[in-house]
Amino acid sequence: MRTLKYIGRRLLVLVPQLFLISIITFTLVRMLPGDPARLELGPLAPEEGVELLRHQLRLDKPLPQQYIAYLQRLLQGDFGRSWVNSSSVAQDLLVRAPATLELITAGMLIVLVVMVPIALLSASPSRGWLARATRRTSFGYGLLAGALPDFWLGLVLIFVFFNVLGWAPGPEGRLAILDLPPERVTGFYVVDTLLAGNFDTFKSALSHLALPAVTLALVYGGPVFKMVRASMEAALRSDYTIYAEGLGLPRRTVLLWAMRNAAPPVVVVTGVVAGYLLGGAVLIETVFNLNGIGQYAVQSITTADYAPIQGFVLVAAVFTMMVYLIVDLLQFMIDPRVSARAS
Amino acid sequence: MSALKVDDDRRRQHSSASVAWYSTHWSVIGLWSRLSRFDRAVLVVFVLILIIAAIGPFVAPYPPTFADPLQRLVSPNGAHPFGTDENGIDVLSRLIAAPRTDVLIAVIATTLSVVIGAPLGVVAGYFEGSDRRAMRWISEGTLRLLDVIQAFPVFILAMVLVAIRGTGPVNVVFAVAFVNFPVFLRLVRSEILSLREHPYAEAAVALGNSELGVGFKHLLPNAWPTVLVQVSVTIGFAVLLTAGLSFVGAGVSPPTPELGAMIASGAKFMIIGQWWVAMFPGLLLGLIVFTFAATGDIVGKLMEPGQRAIPSHHCLFSKDRIAPAAQAEAVAPSAQDAVLSVRGLAIEASGRPPILDGVSFDLMPGEILGVVGLPGSGKSILVRAILRLLGHGLQRRAGHVFFRGKDLAELDDKTLRAIRGCEILPLLPNAKSQLNPLVRVGDFMVAHIRAHYRCSRREAHARAARMLGAIGIGDAEHWLAAYPHELSGGMAQRVCLAIALVHRPPLIIADEPTAGLDVTVQRQVLDLMIELCHQGGAAQVLATRELGIVAHYCNRVAVLHEGLIVEMGSVRDVLLAPRHAVTRRLIAAADLRAVSAAANTPSKIVP
Repeated sequence: MRTLKYIGRRLLVLVPQLFLISIITFTLVRMLPGDPARLELGPLAPEEGVELLRHQLRLDKPLPQQYIAYLQRLLQGDFGRSWVNSSSVAQDLLVRAPATLELITAGMLIVLVVMVPIALLSASPSRGWLARATRRTSFGYGLLAGALPDFWLGLVLIFVFFNVLGWAPGPEGRLAILDLPPERVTGFYVVDTLLAGNFDTFKSALSHLALPAVTLALVYGGPVFKMVRASMEAALRSDYTIYAEGLGLPRRTVLLWAMRNAAPPVVVVTGVVAGYLLGGAVLIETVFNLNGIGQYAVQSITTADYAPIQGFVLVAAVFTMMVYLIVDLLQFMIDPRVSARAS
Repeated sequence: MSALKVDDDRRRQHSSASVAWYSTHWSVIGLWSRLSRFDRAVLVVFVLILIIAAIGPFVAPYPPTFADPLQRLVSPNGAHPFGTDENGIDVLSRLIAAPRTDVLIAVIATTLSVVIGAPLGVVAGYFEGSDRRAMRWISEGTLRLLDVIQAFPVFILAMVLVAIRGTGPVNVVFAVAFVNFPVFLRLVRSEILSLREHPYAEAAVALGNSELGVGFKHLLPNAWPTVLVQVSVTIGFAVLLTAGLSFVGAGVSPPTPELGAMIASGAKFMIIGQWWVAMFPGLLLGLIVFTFAATGDIVGKLMEPGQRAIPSHHCLFSKDRIAPAAQAEAVAPSAQDAVLSVRGLAIEASGRPPILDGVSFDLMPGEILGVVGLPGSGKSILVRAILRLLGHGLQRRAGHVFFRGKDLAELDDKTLRAIRGCEILPLLPNAKSQLNPLVRVGDFMVAHIRAHYRCSRREAHARAARMLGAIGIGDAEHWLAAYPHELSGGMAQRVCLAIALVHRPPLIIADEPTAGLDVTVQRQVLDLMIELCHQGGAAQVLATRELGIVAHYCNRVAVLHEGLIVEMGSVRDVLLAPRHAVTRRLIAAADLRAVSAAANTPSKIVP
């Protein structure tokens, strides 16, 4: 019951946030010099079409009315049209979103499945060679993480693993040129190929995903890694861990309980990082030619195609808001102190 | 009268100013000598980057925009140590010239975001603490607006801003400044909120200054150190952002030497194996970002108040540091039936004077030994050493701890675990922080019971409930389901007491078990503890700084001072005829501090 109430209240906060986001994206485009209708339709559009859109956007009416017209269009799922591809922006984004989501998911998985355990290990006070080795690597990684530019790191990985070692495919997209994309179920090629039982294409999709996901994880996993290590170290040094040791509790229990305490700050940082992943995906998609929504936005910027930019910004902000929502809910679930304060 | 006072104040100010100058002068040298070698290297690189950013284009071996069509994509060699790019421009020369663009944009943009963000932060912090509701709403609204602005991923927001305003360095500066100003607004706001609680801020307001004026004149300058640390870090990220923008073609474009654009132009060659065009700019970019972030860390570290004080080991009364009589016991063999025998125990933190030195005593079954001493005398370390819970940085240099004739240091991990918590029970200060905040009291007790006694979860639960009942906690089920934050300090200590007694241990090691509790609760908890110890026949080491507690509850007392037992004997003997200055001091203090406990044994306290 308390949980439901909290979820309800948290969802209620989302409404004004979404409104603010729409106002900001609306303002961004109105900041442009020139006629919004002309900008959206491009310099080559006929005057009648521009006039029609002008009417539709209520550009002859005061700003609040224009904003309402903008909202109406959004609610109908109309994000405008790209004048370069002459296609619907909503359609374009939908087609490309799975590529971006697949990249982000894979990157996050690497962070959670590979990097978090390493960070936990490096925080443990054991003196074994494994712990020592992870401590040393994690020290070096902690120094570099966040400093290395993601787009450059992607290039270096391509150079090493494609050009020198030949282990990975080059930046040719999500599949090799001759591979046929699988039938769309989830939009994730790695999943869809498995569902279709097409293992060759699955391998191809996986190998094309590996380098970009690793790049994303290495660059954006840094804060998560550091936070896991720091909060685990703090938990292991804390009074309650010493007391639990003093009571002779099994080592496993002591470690598990320490991890439980390390979790809340890690969840927060993971959430913030997940929000940033979309920004990182923009550059990494461009480097690896993955054709997701990030690369779509970059292309639109170089061609001054404003409707896709506006659509992408909106999607990005909403995505981040959703991630923060999930983080808040998770935190509510794992920390009784938060739930006590919230209700 | 008042004129005299002002004059006096001024003189004091003057002298303190000269002292400040003097200490600043010395602290520059002092700071440098206290930096680690790594930190010094970072600072040297930091200065180098600034120099290159200032004079780069003038010292490059080749003109950074000079293209030689005959020398295109030459791999690194003698004439071009870092090779040439696709236009035949020397990569090294461009590398030396490029940081200027990036660092300059980043510095200007960051300055701009401070200039916009800091005053808004002061206003937000001021509005937030205001009495008027409308002002608080404005502040709240601003913060929520910032939340939403920050929901736009930084890079995307900057990219779109540049796209809208057009590419070029000026617009990059605006975009980078815009995405970073919320950082400074928030930072300054939270600093102001905490600073305005200080007495001097309240005093300035009380003197009739406007709150906003105080915010700008008195509080903002105090927030600068924190802001400065953030500035350094932000400049690093601004460099990265600028390069990223240029990389996607939304920033500085060629032929201006710029690191992101250099990487972009080298990207296609990297894939086909001509790595040098993009490799070096990326490395340099990483180095710049890292150096700025690390410099911020170093500055932050140096600004921590604790770092300024020169570490020294002040001894309160070092003259008393004579070899004590109690030391003689170190050689004596341990008593036959002692529960606990400590022999010549010495604990040290690496490279420092020992924290405990030659501590020896015996504890008979059922006996209660009080260990008293001033704060910092080593009581807690002694407790931890007996439990073998020294933690990081501390180690046993000499001596032994025998529990029922077994040397605890020789035991393997498993045996030690079986003894700790079952036969030797810790009772530590601030019970609330001893209980894991995310584990229910019941789960904790069940885990502890089952760690030493094979039984089902339900059985252990019932036993925990019985134990809570036995120490007078009604409604045991309610408390077993509670989390530690729902317990009062006294209740938490009672739970710890229940934990300590559930296995009927022969030995309890208590360290300030009543610290942080109010006096009446202290008495209740102590009475309960001693009574139950007597029932179960448990011996106890009770470390405390209050002689009143010792006088009331203990059989024997050991006075600990700077890691040495300076005096030990029966409570009556020691308190009636103290031989050591520390003991006398503690007795003098006890009269004031624990009157209630000491009142029962006045004959013992009065010397």
